[in-house]
Amino acid sequence: MSLKGKRTASFLIWPALVLILASPAPSGQSRRTVVDSLGRTVSVPERAERILSLQPEISRIIVALGAGEKLVGVDYFLRRFDHAVSLVFPKALELPLVTRLGEDVNLELVLNLKPDVIFVSPSESWLADSLEAKIPMPVAAFSSLGSFENLFREMEFVGDLIGRRGRADELVRFARAELKAVRDAIGARPASSRPRAYLAFYSSLLRTNTSYEPLSEAGGVNAAADLLPVALGTKEAVVNVERLLAWDPDLILIQGNYLPAERAVTVESVLGDVRLRSLRAVQGRRVTYTFGFWHWWDPAQVLLETRYLARLFHPDLFPGFEFEAEGNRLYKAFYGRDGVFSRVSKTLKCEEWILD
Amino acid sequence: MSIRVRNLAFDYKDFRLRVADLGFERSRLTAIVGPNGAGKTTFLKCLGSLLPISAGAVMVDDRDLVRFKNRERARRIGYVPQEHGSVFNYAVLDFVLLGRAAHLPVFAMPSADDERLAREALDYVGLRMFAERPIAQLSSGERRLALIARALAQATEILLMDEPTTFLDMKHEVEILDLVRRLAREAGKTVVCTLHNLDMALKYADTMVFMKAGAVLAAGPPDSVLSEALLERVYDIPIRILAVDGRRVLLR
Amino acid sequence: MTKRTGWWTLLAVLLPLLILILSLAVGSYRIPPKDLVHTVAGLISPSRHPDLPPAYKDILLHIRLPRLLLALIVGAALSLSGAALQALFKNPLVNEYILGISSGAGFGAALSLVFLGRGFPPQVAAFGFALLAVFAVLTIAGRSESSVVPLLLTGVVVSAFFQALLALVVYFASPYALQTLFFWLMGNLALATWRDVLLAGPVMLAAAGVLILLRWRLNVLSMSETEARSLGVHVRREKILVILVATLATAAATSVAGIIGWIGLIGPHLVRMAVGAENRRVIPLSAAFGACFLMLADDAARMAVSFEIPVGIFTSILGIPVFVYLLVKAKKVWL
Repeated sequence: MSLKGKRTASFLIWPALVLILASPAPSGQSRRTVVDSLGRTVSVPERAERILSLQPEISRIIVALGAGEKLVGVDYFLRRFDHAVSLVFPKALELPLVTRLGEDVNLELVLNLKPDVIFVSPSESWLADSLEAKIPMPVAAFSSLGSFENLFREMEFVGDLIGRRGRADELVRFARAELKAVRDAIGARPASSRPRAYLAFYSSLLRTNTSYEPLSEAGGVNAAADLLPVALGTKEAVVNVERLLAWDPDLILIQGNYLPAERAVTVESVLGDVRLRSLRAVQGRRVTYTFGFWHWWDPAQVLLETRYLARLFHPDLFPGFEFEAEGNRLYKAFYGRDGVFSRVSKTLKCEEWILD
Repeated sequence: MSIRVRNLAFDYKDFRLRVADLGFERSRLTAIVGPNGAGKTTFLKCLGSLLPISAGAVMVDDRDLVRFKNRERARRIGYVPQEHGSVFNYAVLDFVLLGRAAHLPVFAMPSADDERLAREALDYVGLRMFAERPIAQLSSGERRLALIARALAQATEILLMDEPTTFLDMKHEVEILDLVRRLAREAGKTVVCTLHNLDMALKYADTMVFMKAGAVLAAGPPDSVLSEALLERVYDIPIRILAVDGRRVLLR
Repeated sequence: MTKRTGWWTLLAVLLPLLILILSLAVGSYRIPPKDLVHTVAGLISPSRHPDLPPAYKDILLHIRLPRLLLALIVGAALSLSGAALQALFKNPLVNEYILGISSGAGFGAALSLVFLGRGFPPQVAAFGFALLAVFAVLTIAGRSESSVVPLLLTGVVVSAFFQALLALVVYFASPYALQTLFFWLMGNLALATWRDVLLAGPVMLAAAGVLILLRWRLNVLSMSETEARSLGVHVRREKILVILVATLATAAATSVAGIIGWIGLIGPHLVRMAVGAENRRVIPLSAAFGACFLMLADDAARMAVSFEIPVGIFTSILGIPVFVYLLVKAKKVWL
């Protein structure tokens, strides 16, 4: 059974073909090739003025680089689930909504928006190719995939693309410095004092990330590290309860980026689950939230997450950690506005997250 | 009269069946004959309450048949269809056992008694050897016997049989009709058959019913009603009746 | 019939229990067999075996046992329903979902997940809409209920209708509701809890009980309409009874375990191949087969990988080749 409705837009092939054949090649526009997160080689213009971003991570990077006005359209996620966008770049909420599920991309709208490049998320791997087959613009699938280096490379690439490389480099330097500070503070703590944490992401107790850099950068160990990821390229894995019991992690971290009312897995549900009561994390009540990862980050938030996790794992090394203040500082560095994280924290009830 | 018809009317699309007054006696074999499309099988099914009649009544023991509950009716009237083409290949004994359904409540299992009666029915028709055999492996003649055995297991006073001898060779034809007549004479049942073969009908039946186009043209013992004029009216071709060795022979 | 029935009955009762007990040893968390036995003994008399890790007890009692019990009951219910409906519709290719149950249940679950959120159990709406679908089929087929073709045809049409509605709901659903729905639609026992067993179990067991009581009557109902009527059966009433009971069993099973295909088709077929079509044997043995089959499929699913594969996939992977092999090898007419 087909889960998502499919919009066949094959009738658009003909007008699209006409467009391709009839439109002259961009005069004087030089192009560059780039390899995206799916390994596809994409030819993008040297400089892009109109960007359709269906990948929230890219959208946020563009806003952080001060080029939000180059966005011509967004996807559903940014409007519905981004808790900071209304403060940081409210115009995003008025941009045309091009897709809800990914498969239902409104091709005519896309053509009308005349983007120079389209970004999609690699989690919908077929979407990139399927779009490119129908419209003449380049489509690139990018995501940090849970790695800081990928994130930095992305920021540099986007910076080049929109002519804000300077700002991008500045932000990358800033981020590296943040990470170094955390790393140095943790020092050479031996593995035995690095807590093992299980990540309950994607609104499910049993779906986890096998490799999540904020966790390791913060001096922790991923309980699921020995698992094979389900699909290469996304580092997700699905487990069962018995495996979780066999791991017996020190800490359980639930993805907290969902609105509290919409969280299917909560601290209470984990603590109250009768199957889990032999876990030491449950008995010691070391179950809480972290921001987590769908298939995209907010660069400010992921740095905050690293600091927050470091505080969680090694409270003695970060005694002066003030969640809200740190958050506001990091968000200001990226988006230039005060008090953004206060708002996010209130929405997600972050004040409840710190243990002990 | 064991079973009697009063002003029966049955309608289906363009077909009309009308039978004014007809009775069937115990210990007698009645043969319903006539050309194709005369309504023989339809009439038989109406008799067994297997088709809904539009007017009139079928009376059993002076009670209207529609007043009978299903189980009650099935304990009085048994029906043997022309063929049985079931998807499921039951063993002959299990198949015959189904005849006991009228004597069992919905959730009940057949008892040892029921099984004994089924075996007796098998014996009566001569299929004892076949009890464990799957029914699809039987020849059509043997299958016909199994259907009759099932009706016997049903232990009814009235037996309605639809074309019990079609597709059978002459030997089996005689065997079945011998059996059918025994059922009437020895077992005292009211047996009503539709028969295709007029010669055999005349030989075996106590009463004849001639049907054509949904109406009864004549009914009574063969000696009383049979005439060449009648046969021509019924079958639309001239038929001569001859006597050979004291037996009736029909020449077309 | 009686002597052999005795053996088959014994098998029908003992084999599922045996598989249940053996399946308790299967799982990602390795419990050595000796400790397993001690844990079970410890459940019965706690004072004598105090030294075992508490995790063992939780795993057995709260993870494996409800899941296996559910597999047993669901497998039996689905297989029974399939067998009964095959007899009723005189068609061995009929399965327990033929009257629109799976589509109705799928739609109900989707509706519930999208509008009532993930906090509200989708089982309730799934069960409700499954019944609604069958009710719609029975009503629409209306007067011509007495002939089976309109019933089956109406079932196909109503199924298609609910599937279209399901596609519509899915289209407007958030990705997170979709994930849960997908997991549920594929059929799986991973989410089995004692609550599911205690709520849906009695319904399935009661329905199964009624179908087992009706096992001989199904022979009669498997005759043609005319014959069944001539044998004294109130065809319409009894047919509705069987459909109602089979629907209850299947709807309850589907609401807690999702859509698990093939059990209601393969089970009765294999049983008929082995012991013939007589429903006094086929019905109880189908129940036993379904129970064993689903437990084994679930065991395979749990042993093969460390994460949860929907058990519906395994019932197909295991069931279809077995079925094809036997079909090809079978020489005698087994129908």
